[in-house]
Amino acid sequence: MAELLISQDQIYREVRKAIADALQIPEEKVQPDSSLISDLAAESLDFIDINFRLEQRFNVEMPRKYLLDHVEELFGEGTAIDDRGFVTAAAVTIWNARLGSAGPGLRAGMSLEEVPALVTPRTLIMVVDEILATRPEACPACGKAAWTVADGGAIGCGECGAHVPLVAGDDVIRRWLEEFRARGGLKSSAP
Amino acid sequence: MGSCHGRVALVTGSSRGLGRVIARKLSEAGADLVLNYRKAGGRSEAQATALAKELVERGSRAVAIRADISHRDEVAAMFQEIGAQYGRLDILVLNAARAPFKGLGELLKRDLLQLVETNYLGNVYCVQEALPLMRGRPGNVVFISSLGSRFVLPNYPLGSMKAAMESLVKQWAMELRDRQISVNSVTAGLLKTDSLMVLRQYWPGVERLPASAFVELEDVAAVVLFLCTEAARSIRGQHIVVDNGFSNELVRPAPVG
Repeated sequence: MAELLISQDQIYREVRKAIADALQIPEEKVQPDSSLISDLAAESLDFIDINFRLEQRFNVEMPRKYLLDHVEELFGEGTAIDDRGFVTAAAVTIWNARLGSAGPGLRAGMSLEEVPALVTPRTLIMVVDEILATRPEACPACGKAAWTVADGGAIGCGECGAHVPLVAGDDVIRRWLEEFRARGGLKSSAP
Repeated sequence: MGSCHGRVALVTGSSRGLGRVIARKLSEAGADLVLNYRKAGGRSEAQATALAKELVERGSRAVAIRADISHRDEVAAMFQEIGAQYGRLDILVLNAARAPFKGLGELLKRDLLQLVETNYLGNVYCVQEALPLMRGRPGNVVFISSLGSRFVLPNYPLGSMKAAMESLVKQWAMELRDRQISVNSVTAGLLKTDSLMVLRQYWPGVERLPASAFVELEDVAAVVLFLCTEAARSIRGQHIVVDNGFSNELVRPAPVG
């Protein structure tokens, strides 16, 4: 992986600000493990607003869809959520493998409606961090390896000024899931 | 005295956005209000409760009732509560909507079910449950539609449900003609509400459209109010486009900047 240009602390500061601004609450109320929904009273449209703010800040494309939606699209409907709208054991295996401490608390049998409440600033930090890590070693425009960070946010080429090409958030998730399947991760989740 | 004095109005999904503005408009016209929101414990509940309090302080009657219109039992319970509190309903504004922002190819079965359950079935449940409370008096049902009912947008499957509802509006208008209940839809153009935040992510450039492309929430609410007045009593089963003229022009304003 390329050397870090933006630290997780810096990302956290921006995530915190985006959440506070979107929800119109003081930044002090936002803690790394605050549930955006349960603790901070965010609603689905607020997630989109927060994501939009992070996109502007870091020049990234945040995922449009939840991990479990991607699981179902790639591995088939019913893989992550059963007919009655409950989380499956396979979903928990995939979720934990992917999010680890960035998204604890998913249980088999949980209602899909409860899943968005598991999102915390830590989850968003991980998402941004992963997207930023997809930057190529050298600038495709000028060939120089001279990425710099403008104003704590957007990464650009220090040589020619081009924007860094980053993989979109949804594609980052899809790639991860495909690799997970290729290494047999899905099979080990069978009950 | 306002044109809606002594009448009781329910606006579904009225904690924020257009629904909130419509509720306030009807209240200003003298109606007693029932506000509705979907989720307990969140900001919607706080906003709906705060609006109800504000309307009461200004001298109208108003209550906020939680109900997810996609669940028939919750709809039934909401109307039971309206019956208990007011004993009647005169105006029903079907504003609540809920949809994934995804392309058709990406819709999972549960996305499709949610689309139909909230935006089609939910609205039908509301009208069905409202009718007993609307008995014996002229009434008005106004469905809030959007330009999505006739034009396509990327990642906007809700448009197909709006089209289905516009079709139902005509059917209801016919069935309820003799009861003096008018049923119409107000087809809103681009609105600067919370939903716009969604649009700007799924429809890049929308935030850079010139002001003339948008319609004011107040202007849409004014037409909803008009459809609930005596002057509009012969307007039945119509779709009134309120979009500041945006949809008339083949060449639309280009994003600036």
